[in-house]
Amino acid sequence: MTTDTYHSPESVSGLQKLGIAAVVVGLVLTGVGYSMTGLDRFYQAYLVAWTFWLGVALGSMALLMVQHLSGGAWGVVLRRPLEAAASTLPVMAVLFIPIYLGMHDLYHWSHEGAAEADAIIAAKAPYLNTPFFLGRTVFYFAAWILISQTLLKWSKQQDETGDPGLADKMAYLSGGGLVVYTLTVTFAVTDWLMSVNPHWFSTMWGPLFMAGQGLAAFALGISVLVMLSKTAPMSHVLTSHHFHDLGKFLFAFLMLWTYLMFSQYLIVYSANLQEEAPHYIDRNNGGYEYVTYALMALHFAVPYALLLSRDVKRGIGSLRVIAVWLLVMRVVDYYWQVAPEFHKTLSASVIDVALPIALGGVFLTLYAMRLKSHPLLPLNDAGLEKALTHHVH
Amino acid sequence: MANNVHGHGSSSASLNAPVLAPGHDFETITEAVAQIPLAKRTPIGWVLGFMGAFGLFMMLQAALGKLVMTGVGIWGNNVPVGWAFDIINFVWWIGIGHAGTLISAILLLFKQQWRMSISRFAEAMTIFAVACAAIFPLFHTGRPWLAAYWLFPYPNTMGLWPQFRSPLIWDVFAVTTYATVSIVFWYVGMVPDMATMRDRAVSMTKKRVYGVLSLGWRGSARHWHRYEVASLILAGLSTPLVLSVHTVVSFDFAVSVLPGWHATIFPPYFVAGAIYAGFAMVLTLAIPLRVAYKLEDFITMRHIDNMAKVMLATGMMVAYGYAMEAFYGWYSSNPYEQFMIWNRMTGPYAWSYWMLIAINAGMIQFLWFQKVRANLKLLFVMSLFVSVGMWLERFVILVTTLHRDFVPGSWGMYYPTQWDFMTFVGTIGLFLTLFFLFMRFVPMISMFEVRTLLPQAKVKSEHGHGN
Repeated sequence: MTTDTYHSPESVSGLQKLGIAAVVVGLVLTGVGYSMTGLDRFYQAYLVAWTFWLGVALGSMALLMVQHLSGGAWGVVLRRPLEAAASTLPVMAVLFIPIYLGMHDLYHWSHEGAAEADAIIAAKAPYLNTPFFLGRTVFYFAAWILISQTLLKWSKQQDETGDPGLADKMAYLSGGGLVVYTLTVTFAVTDWLMSVNPHWFSTMWGPLFMAGQGLAAFALGISVLVMLSKTAPMSHVLTSHHFHDLGKFLFAFLMLWTYLMFSQYLIVYSANLQEEAPHYIDRNNGGYEYVTYALMALHFAVPYALLLSRDVKRGIGSLRVIAVWLLVMRVVDYYWQVAPEFHKTLSASVIDVALPIALGGVFLTLYAMRLKSHPLLPLNDAGLEKALTHHVH
Repeated sequence: MANNVHGHGSSSASLNAPVLAPGHDFETITEAVAQIPLAKRTPIGWVLGFMGAFGLFMMLQAALGKLVMTGVGIWGNNVPVGWAFDIINFVWWIGIGHAGTLISAILLLFKQQWRMSISRFAEAMTIFAVACAAIFPLFHTGRPWLAAYWLFPYPNTMGLWPQFRSPLIWDVFAVTTYATVSIVFWYVGMVPDMATMRDRAVSMTKKRVYGVLSLGWRGSARHWHRYEVASLILAGLSTPLVLSVHTVVSFDFAVSVLPGWHATIFPPYFVAGAIYAGFAMVLTLAIPLRVAYKLEDFITMRHIDNMAKVMLATGMMVAYGYAMEAFYGWYSSNPYEQFMIWNRMTGPYAWSYWMLIAINAGMIQFLWFQKVRANLKLLFVMSLFVSVGMWLERFVILVTTLHRDFVPGSWGMYYPTQWDFMTFVGTIGLFLTLFFLFMRFVPMISMFEVRTLLPQAKVKSEHGHGN
């Protein structure tokens, strides 16, 4: 069984074509949207789309490190999709350029004279200033690309040579890498997403987005594994047992995200302080309250109720529907976090949909290319045999 | 995932250690565990240990007696620090309990086999820790016989006493649920082993007592089926409790408006701290226990290594919490927030903050090294330090926030009295007393679960594997 090379099936090429088509459609729609609403909305929508897809890549990198440390059948079958997502990080770094170009529109604190007019911005100036902001961004990406590319390189070597020492090396890097991931992502989401409102702060911000990244990474991984499970070679490998385990993880991350969201809300609501309460006042007025309700119902209640069922988690098709659905809801969550800071009344436009599609196209194209060029299972992983016989135990 | 018994692609010795040492069969496992409570002679070490623990427990009685007769004035709490040792110790004990629930519930759902031999005494630890914790909210009222009036969530038709918007009332709900589910889970998990004890006991009294406790267990297929269903449901019920109890405890502070208490990260940060403290206590108990009762075959280096890793991971989360508090304390640009962090770091209680950082952010970094995790003496000392560190964490949160509030005119200092210390040390006595009794009368390791780790048991389980 282990002599199989697990080449990717046609469907992965299909995924790549879907990605390219999404780029084209997304760009056309972006053009349409741009002509309707202009540059200001462009940057805001771009921030949502970019942080979402970057989050999928980063969440995948984090899960990749977790599975290097923990082992387990779920990690063996999910490793290549996670690696494919993490491989997009260099391009994601390049895609920061529009954020740089749009800094003036996105970050009020970057304006000249903003600090003089606002004591809070003045107090934060040692942290929130353009050179330091850009320097941090360079540092984040350097760290992420270094970690992910090293893991990918060793993983490829493991396929080729079967050197048992590589598993240890990957585990060691992953231990330290998770610490780096946690700290860098915390500061990165503070920079890119929290500072769109320089008055707002919450110590929960980092964990909130890390939980969201993990959720999105599982959702994408499950969607792709379901696709792969339809044809050889993975149709011989993946069973409902694998999907049951993965479904439990999806469920766990969904609950974690909800738990953190609710905790932050309850604490801010109870204290009702002037620095914090506006964050929720903005999101409970001007039409955004419907987005809030939608998140509660469709990002939490409905998928939660469905994922409680064992049959839904084991039913491969139903799990994919929920996974794809959750990816869509993740975009809505990012929109909900960002948009009210720019427009006090809800006014979603074409460009808010166009840019997540366009950047998703870029992501998927790269993702499929990576998936295609490597065996779909880590050939020399110590846990491979066990993962292949997961249903027997 | 299920059978990850042999570690994952690593060459380190502890990782490859089995969860059950080789050379055992059904009989040797049962004998090794069951002979401890059934032994006629009480080991002299047990007697001495119990006497020490019981002495401390008596001290608790004295401290509480004095409190009830005199009033809470004997404690050091006073304006501005109106809440001190009572809630520090409450949170400390509740936190310690969490490891037991995590081991027995979450690791069960994740089919982690290494939980089997440590779950029984970890659950016992949970229940005893909750018992110690409960003493503080009960007695801080000063008139505990009236406590039900203020604390118990009875129907509030008069709109008078229970303030349902207060997290202190949620605490009563959360902790009573937690205690109830933990006791039921612990007891249900013990029923098959109680039957084993009944069947092996020689004296009539023991036969009768274990017989009653085993609830008529005969080991029939139907009994086992019901047992499996019950334990899965109880594990499902316990899982949210791991999160909810300490989340509600964190709300006691976080829903306020006080700098240092009002932080949105508190819920997950408290939960991580609870698991961290809990695993430290499990290690503190397990390391001497396995030597004293020669249980090294069941609580192997693999268990020790895994627990040390959990301690490292959760300790890192706690350290992350400290970093976030410090950074956002500054980033908030709120002068009161900034002062709070500054006061913690440089104020009169700075020693407690830096000791806490030295332990919970510094010392635990040694756990990255396999050699440290394999050094039992060192690990034992470190686990004691973690308990100290987590106690200091609650001390820092409580006292540094309260003693210097918004108005410098109302600043003050907090000095605990001898009664504070006697009550705290006394609860450690209560905890150890209960634990010594547990060791003497109850099989400390789940015999029937550990027996399923044998290869002989695997053959059978292929057909009847419920999921």
